[in-house]
Amino acid sequence: MLPRTRDFAASLALLCGTVFAAAQSAPLTAEQIKAAARTDDFSIPTPGEFMAALSKVGKPDWSSKTRPPIPTDFPDRGQRALNLGTLVADGYLAVEAESKQDVKNIGKDIIALAKPLGVSEELISRGKSLTDFADEGQWDVLREELEATQNEIKIKLATTGDTDLIALVTVGAWVRGTELIASHVAKTYTKEGAQLLRQPGIVDFLAGKLDALPDKLRDEPAVKRARVKLAELKGAVSSPRENVADQETVKKIHALSAELVKDLSKKNLK
Amino acid sequence: MNRRLIPALLLLGSLSFGQPEKSDDEVAARKNALELAGAFANDGFKLRDGHWSGSIKTGEGKLVQVNLYAGNEYYFAVASTEKAKKVALSVFDETGAAITIEEPYQEGFTAAVGFSPVASGPYYIKVEELEGEATAFCLICSYK
Repeated sequence: MLPRTRDFAASLALLCGTVFAAAQSAPLTAEQIKAAARTDDFSIPTPGEFMAALSKVGKPDWSSKTRPPIPTDFPDRGQRALNLGTLVADGYLAVEAESKQDVKNIGKDIIALAKPLGVSEELISRGKSLTDFADEGQWDVLREELEATQNEIKIKLATTGDTDLIALVTVGAWVRGTELIASHVAKTYTKEGAQLLRQPGIVDFLAGKLDALPDKLRDEPAVKRARVKLAELKGAVSSPRENVADQETVKKIHALSAELVKDLSKKNLK
Repeated sequence: MNRRLIPALLLLGSLSFGQPEKSDDEVAARKNALELAGAFANDGFKLRDGHWSGSIKTGEGKLVQVNLYAGNEYYFAVASTEKAKKVALSVFDETGAAITIEEPYQEGFTAAVGFSPVASGPYYIKVEELEGEATAFCLICSYK
């Protein structure tokens, strides 16, 4: 049954600004926590959600965070997938910066990069939607389109048996998103901003996915680089729950993630 | 139907990375969950495009990890099918401690909880069927 909107409005009014502290249910055991399901599309937030959280604690100059176009003709499939993820994050950045041209350019690059992975056909109509919505300045709709685009890429990879590449798209999107957020927080440090960079569950999940890749994919230079940097990032984004990363730690998170994003975009990565 | 739900509905039944085709119960549960989420989408909540679904039976609890950001508000909506007479949702922090939800919503085979995390990091959402037959469930996350 569909609940009455009024009931939900009342609930929403109650939850706004409310901090819930007391516990009612029995606590989970360590075994239950370990056995909990973790999925790529439900457990891991998109870069858009990450950026939405930052927008509440500051006013980032998103347009200053853009980067020059990256190559779209990488020889390795793993590197393509990783960069596909970074481009999806760039798409969210372009939307936050409300840059119509960047949205269009990134849409084209996503299609070009996806083509050799067998995904482009599904994305062509999506790319047209991105262009149309950018022309009309429908930024909220564009955010939803980008999320749908990311999922469409992953669905197609799953249906073509390339499930291993899904994790790489997610890693690319997450690391570029982390670079963008850390860049802002490192420059205009606040505890609220630094709190957003605490992501132990995400980095654990992604590192586990990379460790489980088939040998051939895991040995690609870009994937190797991602594994090494993720291991380094893990310590920096896993501060204790009661602590907030200090400015030096935030700078380290930025440096590590920026270095990885830059490395991933190199055509002749060794 | 809220416009924000249209992309999600278009993808109904197709968002299952590498999983076998969905059963009728799973499709029905997902539709019910999206309808439930639609009741508060007008309040500015955006759907995470993914969902978590599966089978469930009375007395069984299913647990999933979600990674949330402090400062955002989250709403989790679960729905099953009419085979389930009563379902429930609960939330735990990364230490396993339960988080008290004020004014949780529960009606038959649907339930929803909303809260604002005080710390960024992993949380755990537990779906339980309290009464009814074995069926399917679908859990959806919204945020703003």
